[in-house]
Amino acid sequence: MTPATPEPALRKTLTEETFFLNLGPQHPSTHGVLRLLLRLDGERIVTCQPVLGYSHRGHEHMAQNRTYLQFMPNPPRMDYLAGLMYNHAYCLAVERACGLEVPPRAIHIRLICAELNRISSHLLWFGAYLMDLGAFTPFLYAFDDREDILAILGEATGSRLTYSYCRFGGVARDINQAFIDGVRAFIPKMRARLKDYDTLVTKNIIFVNRTKGVGVISRERAKAHALTGPCLRASGTAFDIRKAEPYGFYPQFDFDIPVLTGGDCFDRYMIRLLEIEQSLRIVEQALNRLPAGPVKAEGVPQFITPPSGQYHFSYETARGHLGIFLVSDGSRVPYRMKWRVPSLSNLSILPVLLPGTLVADTIAILGSIDVVMPEIDR
Amino acid sequence: MNLLLRYIGEVTSGAWSLAAGMAVTLRYMFKPVTTVQYPRARLPLPEAFRGPVELRRLPETGDHGCVACGECARTCPSGVIKVQGLKARASDFNRARFYFIDFSRCSLCGLCVEVCPVQALMFSREYEQNGGSPQVGVADLLARIREARP
Ligand code: SF4
Ligand code: SF4
Repeated sequence: MTPATPEPALRKTLTEETFFLNLGPQHPSTHGVLRLLLRLDGERIVTCQPVLGYSHRGHEHMAQNRTYLQFMPNPPRMDYLAGLMYNHAYCLAVERACGLEVPPRAIHIRLICAELNRISSHLLWFGAYLMDLGAFTPFLYAFDDREDILAILGEATGSRLTYSYCRFGGVARDINQAFIDGVRAFIPKMRARLKDYDTLVTKNIIFVNRTKGVGVISRERAKAHALTGPCLRASGTAFDIRKAEPYGFYPQFDFDIPVLTGGDCFDRYMIRLLEIEQSLRIVEQALNRLPAGPVKAEGVPQFITPPSGQYHFSYETARGHLGIFLVSDGSRVPYRMKWRVPSLSNLSILPVLLPGTLVADTIAILGSIDVVMPEIDR
Repeated sequence: MNLLLRYIGEVTSGAWSLAAGMAVTLRYMFKPVTTVQYPRARLPLPEAFRGPVELRRLPETGDHGCVACGECARTCPSGVIKVQGLKARASDFNRARFYFIDFSRCSLCGLCVEVCPVQALMFSREYEQNGGSPQVGVADLLARIREARP
């Protein structure tokens, strides 16, 4: 990102007939409060400069001012679309640091909930992305399916968006029969819906023309900008933390990491639908082998204190690689907690990807990258 | 000629894809409605629903069980709980005399419910808790217990 130099740039505007356009921070297509400072030459983009920080709340600083348990409600507020995953990741990071054992039933429940959360996050992206591109109907279907997931997760966690369900050493409460029935009914329904989505969207000529070959990210460029998650996998690199540095019981499950090689908006769209299928497979397997037993480890102290040292933990969220770097000085309060969020590095591709494209393509490209701003601003 | 054929082919397949999409929409037109007309109809609340916290009423005494240990107030990440206890006689247990929660800043995380050593707190099943000013959110939980008493 080049630093803003408004003065000379503005003077140039007059002579070269380029002009500035602020896309955001409240433009409905920018997914929250992202501001893109675009310099346009007619309809073509000359430069693009993302401006961040509109929803900065200081979560990392808050972590240094409260105990580990008190920080529990914060991580889901960073990425509100995949809140349960952030909650899960935070618990896993602290558990690893303390060497806590988690009962197998709790691990299974967490995996089921995290994968459902991944599906709901992808569904919301699917609906919102197509709405950006001018299709309203798929949005309604996606939200219908997402509503099912929210109801299922609500049954287990008691909340709908910013779950704080996992606890150090387990989960807050056991799942009930309504949860299990809900998931069992949801899996076939979602599989049928994916076929409908294919007919409705994937084969739609307007959608294909607007996304095929648009915003192509080559494999090398994706790596150079540290893209992770679906954006990286759509560019031909099969990297997923769930396979590369597995946590939970992922190695015991049979699932694939979908990879596509086009690197364009269409492939980034396709890869998320394929991931929904794989997540359904994981949920199904986890539900079939759900063991009995306790859902929370015994004797976890309220003031959990990792031994002093530095810890790092990686997690695959719906948007990519989440890294939690934790420094403990052996006290009840974290010394430092740094969150490496996937959206920030995914967003860093925009200044090199956008120049030369049209404004209408900007919306398609920006949407396909799937940034969540509160996670970047923290 | 070849180009023309390809063009016609593209137009036909494109039109077909639009028609196929429309067919999906039409099919859903005859399926049951999924929308719930909210103020007139409501969804059932899940069993685990976390409404604003309230004091549990003990069936034996009809009163709350809070011993004003202050654990909830210390644990609350937002620091929105104020609780104060009094003893009628020196040999008595402590009893809460004031219990206020500022729900305008409560994140309903439930940590207070979890840490309470005597399980005096629970989640209510209320929602639609909006109000016109921040003061509306301040709830006197003891007053609610008193109101609920016969
Ligand atoms: S509600 Fe529970 S934790 Fe809070 S002061 Fe009363 S007894 Fe203590
Ligand atoms: S639910 Fe959480 S934020 Fe609300 S009063 Fe209890 S501890 Fe505080």
